[in-house]
Amino acid sequence: MIRAKGIFISAAVVLALGAFILFGGRWARGHVNYITAAEDHPLTCWTCHVYTQKDNFIASIMNETYVSPYKLDISDDGSTLYVVGQESNELLVVDAEGGKVLEKIPVGLRPHTVKLSPDGLSAFVSNQWADNIYHIDLATGNVVDTLVGGSGPSDLLFSPDGQELWCVNSYSNDISIFDLETFQERRRLKAGNNPVSAAMTPDGREVYVSSRRSVEVPHMTHPLTEMTVTATKYQRVSERLMFQDAYIMETVDVTPSGDLVLATLIRPKNLIPTVQIERGWMMTQGLGIVDRESGRTMQLLLDEPNAFYSDPFGLVITQDGKKAFVSHAGVDKITAIDMEELRKLVREAPDEALEDYANHLGLSSRFVIGRIPTGSNPKGMVLSPDGKLLYVAERLNDRIAVISTENLETVGTIGLEGPRRLTVNREGRQILNNASGTFQNQYACYTCHPDSHEDGLVYNMAGVGMGRNLANVQTLRDIGDIPPYKWNGKNQTIYKQDGMRFSTILTRNEAFTHKQLDRLVAHIMTDIENPPNLRFNPNGELTEKQQRGKEIFYRTQDNFGNEIPEANRCYTCHPPPYFTNLQMTDVGTLADSDDPMKFDVPQLNNVYESGPYLHDGKAQTLEEIWTKFNDHDEHGVANDMRKDQLNDLVEYLKSIGDAKNYMEEAAVYEASLTKKKKDHEKN
Amino acid sequence: MRKIRLLAAIGFLLPLGLWATEPKKASEMPEYGKWQTFTTEDGLPANKIYCVRVDGDRVWVGTSHGLALYENGSFTNFTTEDGLAHNGVLSVDVSEQTGDIWIGTLGGLNRYSGGVFETFNQFNSGLPNDVIYTVVCDGQDVWCATGGGAGHYDTYSEEWAIYTERNAPMHEPWTYSICAGDNKIWIAAWGGGIIEWQKDSRTFRDYTDPDGEMEIDLFPDDGLVHDITTAVSYSNGILWVATYFGMSRYDGTHWKGYFDHDSGLASNFINFIRANGDVAFLCTDKGLSSFNGEEWITYKKNGSGGKRVYYKDGESNTKNDATGLAHEFTIGVDFQGDDIWVATSYGLSRGTKIN
Repeated sequence: MIRAKGIFISAAVVLALGAFILFGGRWARGHVNYITAAEDHPLTCWTCHVYTQKDNFIASIMNETYVSPYKLDISDDGSTLYVVGQESNELLVVDAEGGKVLEKIPVGLRPHTVKLSPDGLSAFVSNQWADNIYHIDLATGNVVDTLVGGSGPSDLLFSPDGQELWCVNSYSNDISIFDLETFQERRRLKAGNNPVSAAMTPDGREVYVSSRRSVEVPHMTHPLTEMTVTATKYQRVSERLMFQDAYIMETVDVTPSGDLVLATLIRPKNLIPTVQIERGWMMTQGLGIVDRESGRTMQLLLDEPNAFYSDPFGLVITQDGKKAFVSHAGVDKITAIDMEELRKLVREAPDEALEDYANHLGLSSRFVIGRIPTGSNPKGMVLSPDGKLLYVAERLNDRIAVISTENLETVGTIGLEGPRRLTVNREGRQILNNASGTFQNQYACYTCHPDSHEDGLVYNMAGVGMGRNLANVQTLRDIGDIPPYKWNGKNQTIYKQDGMRFSTILTRNEAFTHKQLDRLVAHIMTDIENPPNLRFNPNGELTEKQQRGKEIFYRTQDNFGNEIPEANRCYTCHPPPYFTNLQMTDVGTLADSDDPMKFDVPQLNNVYESGPYLHDGKAQTLEEIWTKFNDHDEHGVANDMRKDQLNDLVEYLKSIGDAKNYMEEAAVYEASLTKKKKDHEKN
Repeated sequence: MRKIRLLAAIGFLLPLGLWATEPKKASEMPEYGKWQTFTTEDGLPANKIYCVRVDGDRVWVGTSHGLALYENGSFTNFTTEDGLAHNGVLSVDVSEQTGDIWIGTLGGLNRYSGGVFETFNQFNSGLPNDVIYTVVCDGQDVWCATGGGAGHYDTYSEEWAIYTERNAPMHEPWTYSICAGDNKIWIAAWGGGIIEWQKDSRTFRDYTDPDGEMEIDLFPDDGLVHDITTAVSYSNGILWVATYFGMSRYDGTHWKGYFDHDSGLASNFINFIRANGDVAFLCTDKGLSSFNGEEWITYKKNGSGGKRVYYKDGESNTKNDATGLAHEFTIGVDFQGDDIWVATSYGLSRGTKIN
């Protein structure tokens, strides 16, 4: 009996092996093709079954918490660096001379900027994802005060008398002015769209605040990005300078003499087909300049005819005003600028030539005096008090580069004690942030997806039917579980989205290798979070207005008591937790410039920060989706609603945060669907 | 001993009580003269002036054909080409907190800040309606009286709230005027009297005409003189309410009504009211009246010049002036130091304090 059993098992194993040898390869091929929606992906199991695991044991083994240094400040004597660890949520105290981390002070979620108080005894750290600012006593390392103002606090500066702290609020688009005696917010001034950086003139009279996203402009017109000028004496916005055809003004600084204001910027050519990449015109990067003497603004490129320096981020000007440095996060380089040459160019430029200058790739040769290589993803920078050393936060290297401002060479690095292992996700993040995959390094994934979100622009993609089918950029946050991708839903997976077609349409270069692609996909699918929606839903409890809006979202009858067809109810296409049913739908928004198609229902998590709306970005605000582009109730029955009801609905939509907050709601919704289905079958 | 203490206490408190109940002495009435008129010849975009608002050394003027800024002796004009929501500018207010200018037009609301107009309308925002009769800034809040209800905009949260007959004690959603003060908001609602919003308790109450008569006011001091209210202003604890049928004054305890036939009020048809300290200025179809609770001065035209009509305790007398208002149909008023600015249906007037 036992023998027979043994023979039977052996035969089964042999048969199984035989079947696997005969048919397994075909099955595996089919399985991988199905999972990746691509036909050329290697037959590797771990890329999907290990790399893309999320929130489980395998993921915890696979991943590490890195420091990700972002911005930094330095003590007056130059001995100590204070570095914000964006991912580790720490303020690192670093011995600049010894090159050692002295202390790690826990701070709030996703810290952005650190600024030492004028007396050097304390530090202020803006916690961008916690909507507060920590006041830290540097002697004890304790948080002694927490300042609360607008949403998404980012850059900080002190008033000339040291009595006030100014904070740029990147999400609520304003500037908070705090009284440093009471630590209370005294005033809040409206800034541009997604403001992130501030600089004060040496005479203390004005503060310049740069922003990243374009202000609202009519559909299909060029981006226009604001630099807000504020008179410190009156604490009033005195001017809103607009930079045409530019955006992502990450950092602003003022020369020591106060004659020029410089800001990094990117000039996107989003309204012409992306074939322009090979002509060197898709994205150019440069400086926005305000000549305070003449009142004139202009733009100059930092790129060269055959070399682009994507994602300019940090900007510092030496104390003697002779040099400036710009970090390029997308190409791991620092550009050194001769300020006298730059100044000459600014002063010589005739008014009628300014537009040409803004697009001129040859002019950088007149003022760029060096390109200094760095580690991965250089971001914030600070100069030593004597101006001889430049410290650069290499965000995706967990390191500080030390650069000689005289020789324009890296003279050392300071490790920040981050994990030694380079995880798959970390490599993926490096790929996403790096422009080397694009023709002439023109841009990285990050360029159109700053902070892995979206840049608020509409692009004319060079696909089939070039010049048609304009696409509003979509976020990369938490999209792993909500295929398909692209507005037309043609890409069932991110492997397909970012594979060969990506190089054909977007990067105009060699496609990512499979190794790179696997890492990029792993990062996008598992490693990009939504920021907490502190602005509109800080504690998970809806306001009365949001609650009323939620009732409208889930309503089944219109204001006249008529039943709303199932397909025309909000929740049918936008069910929790992602508020998308992952289906293709026609909501009557097809434009003359679109091919006949349905659109992938977009998710609504953190939808408040994703304007403009609809597939081609024609709705500037959430309200406009229904007030302008829903004449026939195809995008949900809404024309019966009063204005106050629409306001309530919009307030509810703005309250929707990350999917993890809606799992219970989704279960209830699923159960109701199942019950309905059963009832239907019974009848 | 106890009796002595009681008497002493009464003796001490009695004068205090008498003092407390003594009517407040009326403020001195400012008198204005040396009138100057500004028209299109001086650079205004139109002669029909809807509103005027002082902003430090500057003056904002809303007209039927655009917004004008008077600064350093000349006008700079703004129209829809500059970003104005509509050229019919009915109301302007200045945010004390930010210095931003808020502009109510016949086609939406503008924020003018740092030289840039931002437009809110009923399509792109939660603004209740595009016809904005009045806009008022109150700290971080902006309130609008619109044809579709009162709108409240929190500039911090960028959230709109709409108040109509559905959620406030209004007769219908048409609101004409709004003012703020003493932690309250007052809304002049067409046919609904005055709606008071308590900011702390977030509750409404209304003030209406108790006799409910539309043609006459049976008891002038029983409450509002009429439910159709056109303007409201609050200053120094007094709520002043304009209607097309007379004026009401409320001190928190008592209402008192005033009409053209029994007071110095130029006309019962009152377009606008603004209190400056203890003195209310009423823009009527027959001149500008001012009142401090006791005496009246009304400014009218007199040929090419003007006149001041004084009224107190039933007696009136008139003084002629070489200069006068641009027009007797007055629509708006504001104050700049010793100067008064008056919006009229044919020109902008500036007078100077002469007493």
